[in-house]
Amino acid sequence: MSRLDKLLAGWTFRTATPTFEPGEVITAYVSERNGDGLTVRIGDSVIRVEDGRGAAVEDKVRLEVTSFDATNHVGTGEVVEVLGPDA
Amino acid sequence: MPEEPDIELSFRGGRLVSALPIALFIAWAIFQSGILGIGDTTGLVAGMLTGLIVGLLFVRGDWKDYADVVFAGMTRRVAATAVVAWLWAGMFAETIQVGGFVDGLVWAATVLNVGPGLFPAVTFLLAALLATGIGTGYGTAIAFTSLVFPAGLLLGANPVLLFGAILSGAVFGDNLAPVSDTTIVSAVTQDADIGGVVASRVKYAVVAATLAIAAYLVAGFGIPGVWGGMPHVDVAGEVSASVSPWGLVHLLDIAVVIALAVRGRHIIEAVSWGLLLAAAFNVALGAANLVDVSVGSMLLFSAPQNGLTQAVEALPLLGAVVETVPAGQVGVGGSVYSGAAGFFPLIVLTLLLVAGAEVMRAGGGFDAIQELVIDRVATTVRRAETTMVVGTALVNATVTINTAAEIAIAPYVATLGKRFNINGYRRANILDANTSALGYIFPWGGGLLAGYGAMQGLVGGEATPWFTAEMLVNPASVFPYVFHGWFLVAVFLFAAWTGYGREYVSDRTSEEVSRV
Repeated sequence: MSRLDKLLAGWTFRTATPTFEPGEVITAYVSERNGDGLTVRIGDSVIRVEDGRGAAVEDKVRLEVTSFDATNHVGTGEVVEVLGPDA
Repeated sequence: MPEEPDIELSFRGGRLVSALPIALFIAWAIFQSGILGIGDTTGLVAGMLTGLIVGLLFVRGDWKDYADVVFAGMTRRVAATAVVAWLWAGMFAETIQVGGFVDGLVWAATVLNVGPGLFPAVTFLLAALLATGIGTGYGTAIAFTSLVFPAGLLLGANPVLLFGAILSGAVFGDNLAPVSDTTIVSAVTQDADIGGVVASRVKYAVVAATLAIAAYLVAGFGIPGVWGGMPHVDVAGEVSASVSPWGLVHLLDIAVVIALAVRGRHIIEAVSWGLLLAAAFNVALGAANLVDVSVGSMLLFSAPQNGLTQAVEALPLLGAVVETVPAGQVGVGGSVYSGAAGFFPLIVLTLLLVAGAEVMRAGGGFDAIQELVIDRVATTVRRAETTMVVGTALVNATVTINTAAEIAIAPYVATLGKRFNINGYRRANILDANTSALGYIFPWGGGLLAGYGAMQGLVGGEATPWFTAEMLVNPASVFPYVFHGWFLVAVFLFAAWTGYGREYVSDRTSEEVSRV
């Protein structure tokens, strides 16, 4: 990303409930663990993952969105890769 | 990051009681400076000492652990950094001042026709520029209060408004400067690169600064500068046509300090070079009879009269810094001495405050507050961001060196923000903007007291003989006028609610921290 791009990024009003398309791969932190599953909150949108592959809360994961309901801002996803906590 | 000592403390009455020393100090500060109107920093030292002693009474188990925690807090690197910045900036600013820089500024303002109405807005811009260049808001507050503040008073600008404008400029620089310690802490603790953090915060700083400039213009022309009954009514407008522009050569040594700081040199190194250059200029200006300054203005031993001291006074070179005086006036003086000495009470206070914050950490006070906030308050992304703003503000009220406050709150901002996948840049921006702002707004904040310390140095100073104790601006009266600070906090509350500037981790991942 160039310096100018960095300067110009984010001059917008970003929604509290972002939407995602099925098949989209995103990077995000794990918000909660529930048994084997994970909850990932991006703003107030929630993506639930059944098999958390051992990722812990605050671990960064690569996540493929498998479904997303844009009305209720809830979706499902699968962990592609566990990147682990920040250094 | 500072190492965390292993000692944990247990308090009678629960973890929140660990906040007692600082809570008592804040109550003391409000009582002393807010209600009674006494801006005496040494009085605040007494308050913090009392707080630390009272806190001791509530410790369960070995009191030695409490003492160890106090020591651990006082020896934190961040405290030493602030101490060094104050001492060096104090010596430098005072040395420039005795070199006629204030007169030079007054001359420039007169020539450029900057009247009392325009003066606060211009001061804000120049202070912001200096602070962004050298990266230390404290240093800027000290330099501008020593140098620009008296010039503004002589031109008839409103003193409270002017002090607020100086602090606003310091806020701007602390927030935006790539070399500012608060900027670096915010980036490192939120896992974001410094360049990206600075670039991403321009969108908030510019909005707040634009509003602040407008406010200083409106207030500058709307509030009378000096009115009858104010102590400086007699000195305002007393600018003689003969003020010397020669003090402006000190712009060169200021430029050297800025250039070295921007190139990443340590503050001790950068300011020491500036100080040596300023001293050389002073000797030259004095020798050429352009400014009334000499070696003795920078360092002077006033010794009691006897055979030995009179012999020393007569010596070449060494005699230039020695004079003999009647017994009652014995002492050491000069800008190097008084510039540093002005900050002694603040330095002691700072060390004790960091100790108080360490007690709160070791006693679980910060953890208790975090659990309460995360589980009950921050349930949506808007509320989470608002909590970060308010939480950062509250911690800055307790830990008054803003860098230390920032280090204390940073892990909580990270945890809370990651829970909603708020981007590292955004987290760093919320953390740093509110830390920078509040450190100069609370009347007991380190930045405000640093400026106040410099102002106390003006009383009866060699370059400002007209400045009397009645002209001091009470720290408790300036906070409404730190416009840039208030607007910055307001912009972030607005941004938390509307999503202005919000970015998620999934939108853009911050780059690795490339430089600490």
